Amino acid sequence: MNTYFVVLLILFGGAIISFAINKVSYLLSGIVAFIATASATVFFYLNVDTDNFVQFSLAGFDFQWGLNSLSLLFTYIVLGLGTLATLYSIQYMRFKNNLGYFYFNFLLGIGSMMGILFSQDFISFFIFWEIMTWSSYLIVVYNGNKTHKIGIKYMIFSGIGAYAMLMSIVMIYADVKSFLIADYIDYISQVGLSGHYLQIILLIVGFGVKSALMPLHVWAPKAYANSPMGYTSLFSGALSKMGVYGLSIVLLSLLTNFNTGENVSLGGLFEGINAEFIRIIVQWLGAITAVMGTLYALKQNDAKKLLAYSSIAQLGYIITGLAIGTELAVMGALFLAVLHAIFKGALFMAMGAVERQAGTTDMTKISGLVRKMPFTFIVTLMSIIALAGIPPLGGFVGKWLLYEGMITSGHYFLVVLIFFSSTAAFLYCYRILFGIFLGQEEKETINVREAPISMLIPMLLLAILTMVFGTYPGLLFEPIANAMSYIGYNDVVWEMSTISNVWGDKVSLDYVSLTIFTVFIVAMIFLTIKNYKGTRYVTTKDISTSGEMPTENENLTFQLNFFQPFERAVAPLYKRSMDKIYNTIGESLDALFNFVRTIYTGNGQTYALYVIVFLVIMLIFKDSIFN
Amino acid sequence: MVISPVHYIAVPLLAAFVIPLFAKLNREFVRIIPGIVLLYLSYVSIVLMNQVSSTGTISEVLAGWAPPFGINLVFSAFSGFLASLMTFMGLVIWIYSYRFKKIDDEPALKFYVLFLMLITGAIGIVLTGDIFNLFVFLEIVGISAYSLTSFYRNRDGAEAGFKYLLLGAFASTLILLGIILLYSSIGTLNMADIAQKSHLIPTSLKVSIFILFVVGFGIEAEMFPLNGWAPDAYSQAPGPVGAAFSGIAVKAGMYVIIRLIYTLFDIEGSFQFLIVMGLITTIIAEVSAMKQTNLKRMLAYSSIGQMGIVMVAFGIGTREAIIAGLFLMLNHAIIKGLLFLSSSYLVYNDDNKLISSLSGLGKRLPLVSFLFALGAFAIVGLPPFSGFWSRLYLLLAAADKELIYLIAIILIIAVIEIVYYFRVINKLYFKDIKVKSDDVQKPSINAVISMSILGILIIAIGIYPDLVTSYLGNAADALLDKAGYIENVLVDINN
Repeated sequence: MNTYFVVLLILFGGAIISFAINKVSYLLSGIVAFIATASATVFFYLNVDTDNFVQFSLAGFDFQWGLNSLSLLFTYIVLGLGTLATLYSIQYMRFKNNLGYFYFNFLLGIGSMMGILFSQDFISFFIFWEIMTWSSYLIVVYNGNKTHKIGIKYMIFSGIGAYAMLMSIVMIYADVKSFLIADYIDYISQVGLSGHYLQIILLIVGFGVKSALMPLHVWAPKAYANSPMGYTSLFSGALSKMGVYGLSIVLLSLLTNFNTGENVSLGGLFEGINAEFIRIIVQWLGAITAVMGTLYALKQNDAKKLLAYSSIAQLGYIITGLAIGTELAVMGALFLAVLHAIFKGALFMAMGAVERQAGTTDMTKISGLVRKMPFTFIVTLMSIIALAGIPPLGGFVGKWLLYEGMITSGHYFLVVLIFFSSTAAFLYCYRILFGIFLGQEEKETINVREAPISMLIPMLLLAILTMVFGTYPGLLFEPIANAMSYIGYNDVVWEMSTISNVWGDKVSLDYVSLTIFTVFIVAMIFLTIKNYKGTRYVTTKDISTSGEMPTENENLTFQLNFFQPFERAVAPLYKRSMDKIYNTIGESLDALFNFVRTIYTGNGQTYALYVIVFLVIMLIFKDSIFN
Repeated sequence: MVISPVHYIAVPLLAAFVIPLFAKLNREFVRIIPGIVLLYLSYVSIVLMNQVSSTGTISEVLAGWAPPFGINLVFSAFSGFLASLMTFMGLVIWIYSYRFKKIDDEPALKFYVLFLMLITGAIGIVLTGDIFNLFVFLEIVGISAYSLTSFYRNRDGAEAGFKYLLLGAFASTLILLGIILLYSSIGTLNMADIAQKSHLIPTSLKVSIFILFVVGFGIEAEMFPLNGWAPDAYSQAPGPVGAAFSGIAVKAGMYVIIRLIYTLFDIEGSFQFLIVMGLITTIIAEVSAMKQTNLKRMLAYSSIGQMGIVMVAFGIGTREAIIAGLFLMLNHAIIKGLLFLSSSYLVYNDDNKLISSLSGLGKRLPLVSFLFALGAFAIVGLPPFSGFWSRLYLLLAAADKELIYLIAIILIIAVIEIVYYFRVINKLYFKDIKVKSDDVQKPSINAVISMSILGILIIAIGIYPDLVTSYLGNAADALLDKAGYIENVLVDINN
């Protein structure tokens, strides 16, 4: 049997088995899920073959499944993170209810993401896309009660996105008479883009919803923060990347390559739209998403929500990079896409561990967990270093490429925005570290213990990966360069452990990394030995307490309004939020709907009157209605 | 015995009259006989559908009088498809209602007799080749439907039944008037003959007749603004009856409108008219559905909205669009059937049938809730369930005719559907439990079987739509082949 069918069979079959087996034992359900993803991963990479295409026809349409180097790149994210997240979830979800339901949707999500990557035609793409959407919806509402509004919001926006995509797909079919993505690209390369911008815009809207692009992002913060963390790591790490995958096809395969520079007027609503214009819009939306995501992340007191906003910001970088479309920018964007999956996956898992062990991720409530959960702390530390783009961990390389790509292509304003957001990201990163792990230990957290080993392994693996890719980015450059050759960038230059810029400067990462690691490890050993003796008590002279003596159980690490001055400085930016705008729209629609429904009065006489009036109108205007 | 389309009419009609006699022997016969009849009709459907796909349309002359003078039944791939669908839905609903408790309390005899009459009438409408005969069948459907609506004999039921009766009476009058005008101008009642001679009628008169028919049958087909009866009727009728209305009775009304436009009259602008009316119907109904607090009413409005979409599909008029329309009818029958059947258990003990009373029922009634959720997923068109394919076909047909705004409206409506269906699903599963465990009604085994049949069908068609697409294609061809229809009916006289 074919690789693709087998992989999907393992995942979907695993979904059903782990649903059924939950009745036997709650633990088995998770183990089955893990075995399913792991075996699917192993089987897939043993048999992976990018030239293998399967064709079949169903319902009168031709379907094609296959793999290209671009989708291969994204399978690493989905299967890699998927396997680790299932492993993590076994312990994380251990004491919760409805595990069969959870794992069923979990595996359905992974399977449908693989299906998306296999799809070489729009229709199976859409089918898997929708399965992914509703399975993730079912997990968003998993925690019950308070989540139903979040779930509905997620479903509405997903619905809008999916149906925009569907509209585009049927319009494409009417033009091309085929659902194959390759056929559409061929078609566009022959007839040009003019007249097909609506299709492209609708596709961008569809993918933009999943990749949380402004102004379609409003579902994301709460949906990310309220799903079980084991799933959120996948949700933010892999599922949002499906939007990125789609956008990279649209923005790169279609817009960049066939942008012949023509400026055809479409008339009406689409006056003056051309490929360049769309790309500029998307670039700016991405950059604004990055800035706003970061600013909102700063305000959060809950680490989960903070990370959710941070995910949105990070996706903003990636989209900006893709929309710029120069070789370096795309490379940086794809590199960040993979890295974001790694470090954000690790961070969400770490927060899940904190939540499970300490009961909350509210940074105003817990602090000083570093002694209790040292490994989780290390993972968090490394991940946020990667997130903030500090060398030597992976995020730095991606940011470097992205900045360079933007500067060399002359997008200076965007650089400023991205740089601002990236710098501000330091602040919220620090906040997590400080808020949860450092500072004074609280009485409530005295019994907190480190997370179970099966949760630590995936986290540590991901953290190590950020280090590996920071030192040897070439490991990742290779598949990225292949992927880029698929979407039209040939001969992408890369080196295993060196990044260079157009001005000829070179940085050898392995030396840098080795030096830093050595210093770090030496320092850590030194500090550990020095401080091993025990707790150092803060003397009253150490801190300013306005002359008052602090009592022993008074917490002196401040958490609330952490960045008050900064928040004040950017306060005007918080004033308008998309949420409020959508709420206003929702309310006015509600009023309109209430008015419309009064047409059905419930009175038989009125209904009879309707019939008569309708008949009379029809008879009077029959000539104009029926010529 | 040779199987012929006449059995569709004769057997259930006969059964409806002998049930009271057998009831004297044993009460159980009341329940069993309809089942046997429907099983037999399903067998007839299978045999005839096979026959049609190999030999083409079957035209059966009744009582020895050849058309255009006598009455004939036409079992084409199109009408046969609908008749088979109705039979199938009838069978499923029979399985469901075999031990439906509320019917046990009331005289089961009446229910089954009326139910059989409803199916007979609806199938008769679809199969008959004579427009007056069609009117008679419509009356049969109408009378059984009014009585079934007010089956519980309470105040609300009586009110709903009365509203239905009121509008139904309008419908009959207008249709009869149309038939009279038609007969006086061309002197024939045979539909094939009318189709052949309709160009002889003066255009103005023809349009007037058409309008009378459309308004009359539009009442049955839930066209806006003629559908005031529907929300009340659906919410007051017993659960299985709601399914029967949406799966059987409304389909018959829709069939006639389609026949009128495609076969009988050749009126310019009637296709556009259908699109516009369909859009208005669906927009207003879906918007109203969103604001309902009563689950059954919500489903009723949603049902109206679906019929609006069906109208749009048939208004587009291409072969693809007809396939889409038939697929939508099929999906509407099975999915809305499943929703009505499962929702009866969800609001079993709540007289107001409030959505808010569903809180947490997912834990108390896991299977029923699951099936309801499945139906909701399917009806909003999520893959891999059957509703997705019909919507896809419709959109493709619209895109083919470059009706971009139509696509946009249909998809916006789909988002509205998501909102109100997922609201119910959220209530079911993700809210705290309000009801006590002894307050809920566990479904009987036969209800579970019938709902599972529909559920499995929804998934099966969703994963493998080719199960039905060939039938749909044949049916669409049969509908478009007007000359073939005329020839088939009128040439058969000479043989």
